[in-house]
Amino acid sequence: MKRIYSIGGGKGGSGKSFIATSLGVLLAKQGKRVVLVDLDLGASNLHTLLGQKIPQKGLDAFIDKETRNLEDLALPTTIPNLYLISSTKCSLEIANLFYAQKVKLISAINDLPFDYILLDLGPGTHFNTLDFFLVAPEGLFVATPEPTAIENTFNFIKSVYLRKLKLALKQTNMWYVFKEEIAKLSRGTLKSPMELVDILVKREPEKGKLFEDLLKRLKFKLILNKFRGQVTENLGEQLVDVCNRHLYPSFEFLGNISYDSRVYEAIVARHIFIRKYPYTKTVSDLQTMARTLTEKRQQPAELRISR
Amino acid sequence: MIKKFEDLNYYELFQIPYGASSFEVRQAYKNILAIYEETSLATYSLFTEDERREILSKIEKAFLTLIDEQKRTSYDNALVNSGEVPEDILIERAQKKAIPIFQINQARARGSNLARIRKKIQEKGTRERASVMVKGDVISGNDLKNLRESLGVELEEVFQATKISPTALDAIERDDITNLPPTIYLKSFLKSYAEVLQLDVKTVVEGYLKNVEKQ
Repeated sequence: MKRIYSIGGGKGGSGKSFIATSLGVLLAKQGKRVVLVDLDLGASNLHTLLGQKIPQKGLDAFIDKETRNLEDLALPTTIPNLYLISSTKCSLEIANLFYAQKVKLISAINDLPFDYILLDLGPGTHFNTLDFFLVAPEGLFVATPEPTAIENTFNFIKSVYLRKLKLALKQTNMWYVFKEEIAKLSRGTLKSPMELVDILVKREPEKGKLFEDLLKRLKFKLILNKFRGQVTENLGEQLVDVCNRHLYPSFEFLGNISYDSRVYEAIVARHIFIRKYPYTKTVSDLQTMARTLTEKRQQPAELRISR
Repeated sequence: MIKKFEDLNYYELFQIPYGASSFEVRQAYKNILAIYEETSLATYSLFTEDERREILSKIEKAFLTLIDEQKRTSYDNALVNSGEVPEDILIERAQKKAIPIFQINQARARGSNLARIRKKIQEKGTRERASVMVKGDVISGNDLKNLRESLGVELEEVFQATKISPTALDAIERDDITNLPPTIYLKSFLKSYAEVLQLDVKTVVEGYLKNVEKQ
């Protein structure tokens, strides 16, 4: 059974790539065929975390149409069963991907023949990042217990919802409604995409409900990284609780990952942290998480951006 | 249908069942406050100042309502009347009322209990018979038990009036030598016991001690 997880979160440096790599390694160790896709376009560095040299092939070949099959670009790593699709070789302007290219890439990612497909995303809320995040039916978002990260996380989640809604509106030729309503609002900004859904439901009850259902189907899993314990102990649960109350009840807390300064050391030395320090709290936290992800539970139906 | 935050009723807001005890209410209040208070990390930047104030005032109002027996009952009734929740929550809560551990009117209860026992004894008119029964030299636990029962007094009532533990009372009545309290306590227990049943204290204490010695 194939599972796709995107790993995102608004803030840079929160450990998205580290978590993607670590989960990839742990899942591969369980005997699953795993591929890591480095979608932090223009700032990719998964290969570094995996202790690899700069890969010879990458996403660029697919985007430049040199390679038709994305699977051919999945390079083996030093971990058996773990493959990497890198984007290091991509041109510096790759972050500004054309829409058609993106759609093609997304559909190719969906068709990758692996057990687990982990998408490592870049920080920020650029619409490309959001679109990649939306490829997976379930998104993991990484936050750290700091106000800055929490702030970015809320923004990221709201952006994801808004992006999903925008795409759906465009597809159904309802875009004009969005524009009209935005124009009506005095400041031209929305507090939350839920407000917009309310407006839609009021204007076109039937279609509005469809959009609401669409947003409800998005699933998020929160990971709190660099957890040191001295902050609020149940911050993760609280965050998920708040999201479930004020957004849609689609949030689940996956767990804390303990802070360990040796993660930094391992990255600097370009070692795989899990290999170097297997008996640390951080690794056992990651292991628990990997186990949760492999639990026999159906992933919700695919949520592709259809054309 | 998912309810909006603004539309949640107090129970949903606190995430507690309708029959929740006041302890649960307090606990839930503490938890929710930790999420929404100004210094909370979990809601950092999520709300404007006004929104937060509004939420906090709702939480405060919910707490003050749920913690107050009277206000809560009328709130429950309003919920039921509006058809928002099924009627059985009212019954459920009535059953779940907390049992007070410390009775404030204990002293009064104790007094009335004693009076009740006295009344019982008087009504029965068994005083003379009782005094006849204890005339013997040796008084066993069984004698005491028969006496008490003939007076129509329950063991629990003796316990309530004397505060001697039911186990000790039971041991006395069953002549359970191994479980009897030390003699000094036993004497005072027997004294209280005799007083409650309006028996001659001296006769009962001496008679029972002889009974113990014999065994």
